Amino acid sequence: MSKQNSKARLPPNQLTGIYKADSIRDVADSLNITNLPDAVASALASDVEYRIHQVVEEAAKFMRHARRTTMTTADIDNALRVLNIEPLYGHTPHNPPTFRRALPFPNLQSAGSVYFVEDEEIDFDRVIREEKLALPKGVSWTAHWLAVEGVQPLIPENPPAIARDVEQEQIKPGSPARPGTVFPPTPPSDGPHQAAKKAAQQQQQLVKHVLSRELQLYYTRLTSALLPTSGAVDPTKRDAALASLRHDAGLQALLPYLVRWVGEGVVAALRGGVQSEADGRVLEVFLDVTGALLDNPTLFVEPYLHQLLPPLLSVLLHSSFPPTQSTNLRTAAAHTLAHLLTTYATTYPSLPPRVMKTLLLALLAQGRSAGTREGAVRGLVGVGREAVRKGLLEGGGARVVGAECAEGREGSWSVVDAVMDALRVLHPPSTQPTPLNSADEEDVRLIAQLREQLGDFFAQRLMGDAVWARGVLAGSES
Amino acid sequence: MSAATPAASTPEGVSPSAANTSSDPNYNASAIDRLVLDYLRARGLRGAEEALRESIGTSAEDKDSGKVPESSASTSTIPADELVKKLAVFAPKQTKPGENALKDSSSVLQELAAMGNTTNIQNLIASIPSIGAEEILSLDPTDKHEGFRELEAWVEGSLEMYKPEFRPILFPIFCHFYLDLVQHGFKDAALDFHATFSPSLAPVHHTTIHHLSTILLPIHVQTDEVAQRFRNEKYTIRMSRSGFGLLVGWLTEGIGGEATGGGEGFSGEKGKRGRAAIMRVVNNHLRFDVTSSPTTSVSPNAWEESTGFLTSVTPQANGSTLIDPQAFNTSRGELKLGPAPLSEELRTETERLLREQAMVDRDPSAQYDLHYARQTTVPGLVSPSLSDLPPHPPTFKTVDIKREVEKVRDARKRIRLEPSALANVNLNTPQGAAARSRALPSICCYTLHDAGEGAPCCTFSQDTSLMAAGFSESYIRLWSLKGEKLKGYRSDFQSSSIRDASSLKKIREKGGSTTRKLIGHSGPVYSVAFDPIGGSAAPPRYLLSASADATTRLWSLDTMTNVAAYRGHQNPIWDVQWSPMGIYFATASRDRTARLWSTDRTSALRVYAGHLGDVDCVQFHPNSLYLATGSSDWTARLWDVQRGSCVRVFTGHQGIVSTLAFSPDGRYLATAGEDLAINLWDLGSGKRVKKMTGHTASVYSLAFSAESSMLVSGGADWTVRCWDVKSSSSSPSKARENGNHTNGAGAAAPENGDRKEDSLETTDLLATFPTKRTPIIDVQFTSRNLCLVAGPYLSPESR
Repeated sequence: MSKQNSKARLPPNQLTGIYKADSIRDVADSLNITNLPDAVASALASDVEYRIHQVVEEAAKFMRHARRTTMTTADIDNALRVLNIEPLYGHTPHNPPTFRRALPFPNLQSAGSVYFVEDEEIDFDRVIREEKLALPKGVSWTAHWLAVEGVQPLIPENPPAIARDVEQEQIKPGSPARPGTVFPPTPPSDGPHQAAKKAAQQQQQLVKHVLSRELQLYYTRLTSALLPTSGAVDPTKRDAALASLRHDAGLQALLPYLVRWVGEGVVAALRGGVQSEADGRVLEVFLDVTGALLDNPTLFVEPYLHQLLPPLLSVLLHSSFPPTQSTNLRTAAAHTLAHLLTTYATTYPSLPPRVMKTLLLALLAQGRSAGTREGAVRGLVGVGREAVRKGLLEGGGARVVGAECAEGREGSWSVVDAVMDALRVLHPPSTQPTPLNSADEEDVRLIAQLREQLGDFFAQRLMGDAVWARGVLAGSES
Repeated sequence: MSAATPAASTPEGVSPSAANTSSDPNYNASAIDRLVLDYLRARGLRGAEEALRESIGTSAEDKDSGKVPESSASTSTIPADELVKKLAVFAPKQTKPGENALKDSSSVLQELAAMGNTTNIQNLIASIPSIGAEEILSLDPTDKHEGFRELEAWVEGSLEMYKPEFRPILFPIFCHFYLDLVQHGFKDAALDFHATFSPSLAPVHHTTIHHLSTILLPIHVQTDEVAQRFRNEKYTIRMSRSGFGLLVGWLTEGIGGEATGGGEGFSGEKGKRGRAAIMRVVNNHLRFDVTSSPTTSVSPNAWEESTGFLTSVTPQANGSTLIDPQAFNTSRGELKLGPAPLSEELRTETERLLREQAMVDRDPSAQYDLHYARQTTVPGLVSPSLSDLPPHPPTFKTVDIKREVEKVRDARKRIRLEPSALANVNLNTPQGAAARSRALPSICCYTLHDAGEGAPCCTFSQDTSLMAAGFSESYIRLWSLKGEKLKGYRSDFQSSSIRDASSLKKIREKGGSTTRKLIGHSGPVYSVAFDPIGGSAAPPRYLLSASADATTRLWSLDTMTNVAAYRGHQNPIWDVQWSPMGIYFATASRDRTARLWSTDRTSALRVYAGHLGDVDCVQFHPNSLYLATGSSDWTARLWDVQRGSCVRVFTGHQGIVSTLAFSPDGRYLATAGEDLAINLWDLGSGKRVKKMTGHTASVYSLAFSAESSMLVSGGADWTVRCWDVKSSSSSPSKARENGNHTNGAGAAAPENGDRKEDSLETTDLLATFPTKRTPIIDVQFTSRNLCLVAGPYLSPESR
């Protein structure tokens, strides 16, 4: 048993005999003692080794009390000091010395291999000229929750559970698991659980969502009815399909597939750069499907809202549609959006602000096409009156759009229409408009205010209806 | 340098002594003897001193002496006594003073004396009690090898119920055999012996075995501390009566120890000699503590407490020799472990203030606070009286009242932790989650970044307004955790111009930042401690720091300067702690003492001496009557602060005791050692309550929750672990990771190493919270039971 053991573990002489008798002889040679007997050399080597161990054991105390697991040269120095030996100067923990092997010395073969510490020559001129010495940062601290009521929160400061597994794998299986021997460079693992976790992960991948045959059939029929791969769309079929989506129960299992279908379809259509009317119609279908899904009272759509919104907003804010369909599509998207928001704003109070933020960005950021602007305005109308007020008046959306329209960009008429629609949402225009009187002092003030809020372009258009203008502004003030 | 000094190394000594007895009339008998003699003389001529020094250790002799018994065993032509003679003959040849002079056994001593310069030899001869043929044969290294192999086989072959009893015997015998071999100069044989047998012992006794392996020359054996302890002290082993009987039977008769396939060796001469060698160690260096308790009732970890150099670590009280720490502990009588009393005036004043505040706040529940202020006597503990406490000023200050009031409020508002709630609860159910939140603490981790060489120590003030860390670069850094600016006073002011608080405020420094460097030490700072007078009510006003420069320094946090340096220790100071009521503090040093100081005196008030190694850590009992120290001699001790005497010894750690903590209720002491175990001790009886294992690297810090129901530990394995104090400990357990209870199903056939590691975690480990790469150097509970931990982040690329 002993033989096996010693083989399995360290080779017998690894612990001792680190300091060889040859080294003693080298030192003796350097002191011109050439005839050192072997016995003396080996005894001296043993003694030197013992002394080294003494120093190292002392240094280990300093290392432990410094709460480190790596011994530094400073520890050795401290140990030498308390053992009343002069410390070894010139070794700092900050730049551990690297030993290099010298080229063989041809004149003196017996010298053997010589190692020396590399001493790089430093050119001060160069250093001063070129190298920028960065001062080290001072010590700083951060605080985080390691555990909250016994549960470790998954925040970046805490180690992720999976990453630990990876780290653990790096530990060699042979690394000693017994106490007090070697501290592993990485924190310890607990092996068996790792395997368990992995098995669980694999299992998760293997388990598939089982979709019944009927539903699969339904899905293919539905999608082909909505968007037949060949031939023209049969409106009756499509309407029937949509109606089925709108009212039928038991489609919950299909919902993720449908949502994905919509998302991918919209992306594909938009990526192709909607050129033809057919593409536009496809988009229309997708919007209808989205609307139908939202309409269906038996479906639980909430978990998929974050997947439904991107296609919706993409359609709404896409830069260029064929002119014939642009308004149509955007209005439809805005409608669906409005529908979605009215249904779920109560359960997700953060939803409208987030959507609004996207829309405002599209409305106000520079260099967006007129189409995007129009979509944004229509979207705002969809979000609600308050959003229109915020976007167009307070946010200066009307001014931006007005300025662009004044420049006469192409397609600006639809934007203007959209803005006027939006303004109508704020306050309905009077049936018998009376223009603002530029002579009246109050009206002059109002005009100025209009210009300030809406910009010249739209102020001009509102000036014709005093009641409307007042209403719009009053809305903004209230 | 041992080779050059004519010191009293044993080969020299043993050889003449061998001659002493065995140079009998038959000396000149055989022709073979002649041959050997000639051979040796030839050697002697070449280098007499050399032969004298390294003699038997060198391979030539080794071979020589090894061959002879071999041939005798194989051919069986030479009987045993013949062999003895042969060895006896060549032994005197080793000695330089001429073989003929020592021939006559009666005149050996005289001859030696006449040669002079041999007092050492004489001493050695005198110290060897009786020399028989076997003594000479003990020079043969192979019998140690053989004997130990036999012993190991016997222990492993014994009945399962005796194994835990017999196993501890292997280690001291291994050590003694190794030391014997080294002492006799058989360096190579010693190394071989070490390499062969150390692996089976290494898991438990790694540190000692490694230390022994560094001892290579006889001179080392004589100077080395560990070796000398083995040589001069009795190693205690506890055994049941029946077990001891079996051992004796085996040693004398060779009963029961037939190792499979080893029959020839054991019944043969070699086996007998091996047993004789073991017998020698048993007789000279071991002490058997024979108990009448049945073997089955002994827990697997019990040997830790009952094995080792117990006699020397047990303080010897006036004359009576106590050989057992347990006997010592019981002989010291009862301890006053109850909570410290509050002076009558302070209590009434505190109650008055509490009542007033309850009125102002119109908080009906606040009036229940009062019962917290009342002193409750803990059942089963003797409470000390005021006169038992170390002297404190008779009057109290506003800050004292504030502290007491705050203490009462904290007691009411504290987060209650009940680890017992976790028992028998499936953690995956909602009830389990609820139980977890009731049982486990919230832990806030403060990570130090860019600490370079790491931070040796870190601590939080009790009101959590300040954090201090000491660094290897000799400075202390202070941080305000509340984001307030830390301001000292300017140095350019006229002391005459300071009249009242407002003028004092004027000389405060302008500006400032939330961190501050305190410079004064000239060596790594190993411990920092905030004064406890303000409690959780007011920020501390003083900071103590201990350093490798052998000074303890007191820093004023008003002026941000060093106000006093306490010198007295001659060696690095490893730890400093305030007494729970301020004024006094204790230090632990490498010079093997702990000392008690008072802030107003520069010299120590008491020196607590008795540890056999460095005192690594120190802690006051919550009622400030007692002081606990942990040491490199693997023990922890409890001292009477005022009398300076040791009142309890805790043995059981198999490594250096690195940190310790008292439970707030005063009943328990938790110690953590380099053996990676956390031991919980009952102070009253001095007995170990349980051993908790699970850490995989050094434990740096321990802390009890305010109810004393939970222990939290942090260490070099980058984890914080929570332990249930009340439940019993047993291993192995299913590990809990990230506080989740992962059941081990599906872990098919764990490897050998894995199982080992798994079994390290005892069942009372409630949760493990790993950090990314932060060794936890400090764990603390706030007065409201929030756990604060701190450590320096080790960036992966730095090392």
